Amino acid sequence: MLQFLVDALLRTADLALITLGLSMLYGLIRFPNIAHVQYAMCGAFLAYAINSAGAPLIVSVVLASILTGLLTLVIQLLVFDRLLKSGPAIAMIGSLAVSMVLVASVLGIAGSFPHMFSLPHTEPLIIGDARISHTQLWFVLTTLVLLTLFVLLLFHTQVGRAMRALACNPALADASGLNASRITNGVTFISGMLAGLGGSMLSLSTGAHVNLGYDLLLPVFAAAILGGLGNPIGAVAGAALIALTETAVTNINFGPLLGETLVFLPVSYISAASFLILLLALLFKPYGLFDREVRRV
Amino acid sequence: MYDFLIFTITIAGIYAIMALGLNVLAGYGGLLNFGHIAFAGIGVYATGIAHARGWPVLVGIPLGMIAAMILGWAMARLGRRLAADYWGIATLAVAEILRTVALNEDELTGGANGITGIPGLFESVASPWDQVYFSAVVLGIVAVTAFFSARLGDGRFGRALRLMREQPALAACMGYNLQKIKSHAIMCGGAITALAGSLYAHYFNFAGTEFMLAAETFVLWTMVMIGGMGRTAGVLLGVILVQAVYAFVPFLRDLLGFGSDVAGALRLGLIGAILLICLLWRREGLLPEKLRNPA
Amino acid sequence: MTQSILEVNGLAKSFGAFQVLQDVRFEISKGDIVGLLGPNGSGKSTLLNIISGFIAPDRGSVLLDGKSIASTPTFRIVKEGLARTFQLPSMPQKMSVLEVAMAADTRMHGVMSTLIKGPSMRKAERATHERAMHLLDELLLTKVSHLPASAISGGQKKLLGIVCALMARPRLLMLDEPTAGVHPNLRQDIVRALHRLNEQGMTLVIVEHDMHFIREACNRCIVLDQGHIVASCKPQELTANERVVQAYLGSTVAEAEVQMEVIEQ
Repeated sequence: MLQFLVDALLRTADLALITLGLSMLYGLIRFPNIAHVQYAMCGAFLAYAINSAGAPLIVSVVLASILTGLLTLVIQLLVFDRLLKSGPAIAMIGSLAVSMVLVASVLGIAGSFPHMFSLPHTEPLIIGDARISHTQLWFVLTTLVLLTLFVLLLFHTQVGRAMRALACNPALADASGLNASRITNGVTFISGMLAGLGGSMLSLSTGAHVNLGYDLLLPVFAAAILGGLGNPIGAVAGAALIALTETAVTNINFGPLLGETLVFLPVSYISAASFLILLLALLFKPYGLFDREVRRV
Repeated sequence: MYDFLIFTITIAGIYAIMALGLNVLAGYGGLLNFGHIAFAGIGVYATGIAHARGWPVLVGIPLGMIAAMILGWAMARLGRRLAADYWGIATLAVAEILRTVALNEDELTGGANGITGIPGLFESVASPWDQVYFSAVVLGIVAVTAFFSARLGDGRFGRALRLMREQPALAACMGYNLQKIKSHAIMCGGAITALAGSLYAHYFNFAGTEFMLAAETFVLWTMVMIGGMGRTAGVLLGVILVQAVYAFVPFLRDLLGFGSDVAGALRLGLIGAILLICLLWRREGLLPEKLRNPA
Repeated sequence: MTQSILEVNGLAKSFGAFQVLQDVRFEISKGDIVGLLGPNGSGKSTLLNIISGFIAPDRGSVLLDGKSIASTPTFRIVKEGLARTFQLPSMPQKMSVLEVAMAADTRMHGVMSTLIKGPSMRKAERATHERAMHLLDELLLTKVSHLPASAISGGQKKLLGIVCALMARPRLLMLDEPTAGVHPNLRQDIVRALHRLNEQGMTLVIVEHDMHFIREACNRCIVLDQGHIVASCKPQELTANERVVQAYLGSTVAEAEVQMEVIEQ
């Protein structure tokens, strides 16, 4: 049972930061950016590259996140700002094209094999009947700290208030003197940083691989939509829900239902589970479970 | 050399049929279906399953088309209250679910190994003529599909669809049932793409899931957008351009001697770059949709 | 006894805390040309949107020829014989004026009949083409029929909107400010065209601000103010009606007369 919770917690940590970044940015730019998960992948590879060049792990991760944030900002300014003038549909197709270019670049430079970080080998911690490696524990704790910091930023600072005001009502925010483009650029940078952070920390366990972004696409979108796009706390809650479902789906023994001792869903059905939740979410609650999404008419 | 040419032409032809299918709902209808490849997958597996079950293999073609129409209807219903881009993500999810099911249901689909040994269309003919005949059949189907696709777009259904694409409120005011039109467009486009899927299975004698990756839908989208959305000639041009890139990369690889990862990256990157450039500078494609003036 | 074609009863609609329509009740007889007036914010657009099926009312009923159409989707209402135009119509960019007009004929638009294009389809297309050209001519749009529909002027777009509404051969046509932004020379032509349509049996409801137009075109007026019907009378009686004056000028007729006296002194 504890292992189940640990697994769910780990998966939540995998998704939370990236989902948060996506959700925050959506409130301001109003189109689903498919390339967002590829920013996470870029973060992972950047962290690997910097680490391989000799930098300590923490420095690599932080530096990679900052670089990813910059990359996100540059792409937003050069590409998406222009495409958005033609509408969210074109911007979404554009994000598709950007994804392709990002994946292709990484694939060409780094190849298709996962690049594992050389981490000190330590015995996993054992808590109760659950096992968790040091890296994973560090990951979860860091994520928790970052999320708390972020929520504090959003709700208890002037900058955070400005961000939320802009997301709720751009015209009014603009009229009351907030500099919309500066805030949007700031949020873009932060969202990219979060994606880079999430991606690089995730890759500590799985290695940096080209499919990292694509594998996250539907779970992250499912989480973001469930939580309500633009709702930061909802994003984390959505990530937790998706993580729980994924863990539950493959850990539940359906045997008793089918009159056998052990029947589990195949592991590859994990992804199908989150996609199904996404579909159900879109069908019944397209504005999120908490219905506090920043509405786009 | 000729083998490669015939291969390229046949593949281009199969993609052309798929792209023409996508054009009906995306080009004429403006519907953002990012899971369109699922229809091709249905065609591929319909033929594969027909073969695996011992049925006459050509039965796979109409079976696939009917199954595609059912899926199309379901996708349309999904979109009843969803904004266009949300629906795009939903269709992506549908395609991924189908792919996961195909990958896992060994009994039905052969799982990760797929279904092999699907006969080609001209089994009794000696090589290389069987390839040539196949190629001719595919090209013939492309021509017929292009003809009917243009007729659909210029005719009453196309007019209604295009009006819905640009001014849905006006279309509703005229008395059009938008949900029904969307549904029919998706079903029509899906059926066409499923046909191409069946041809694909016959050509490669194999039904597997590698083909159903979302990346393939993106290739189709690129073909339709680069060439010219909503214009049959444009779509065909887009197919030729993308296929040219695809065929060009192996040549480059032989010439410069880089590995398969780089080759894959180059293909993907070139397509992505072309799509991006197209969106930024020629949003309507190389052959934009023309104004129609009914005589 | 003239038959009533439209009966509205107890209609109410609020958006959040804002009550836009309260207990709206009126009846329109076949062959009427009714002017629907009211100051800005009186609820005219909402009323039009409810009757034409774009919004559902909170309460009340709308009967078209005795058949309830409240909360029915727009396309079904159009099939029942009710059509409407928009105040600021936006038109497609990639379709010509003629194509848009032809699209307004919604018969036979199925996939199979389009693909097969048999003799009945060809005949229908010819007939639609002819009718579209005829209506475009009536509303003086022949010269621009080959242009993209989004490229014509705002006034011309309004006229195109009327053409589209007429293609459906409605029994009741509702026009939303048909002359605002239209060249004054054109207004006479529109009045004449509307009278012609009325003689052929069409009932018209016209939302308008222009009093002259109302007096020339309509045989009856309904005045809306703050979500209520405040008057239902002939156009000539409008200025004498206390409640109408109050709605528009914010004072009673007597007060207005006193004010005039004060100014003149």
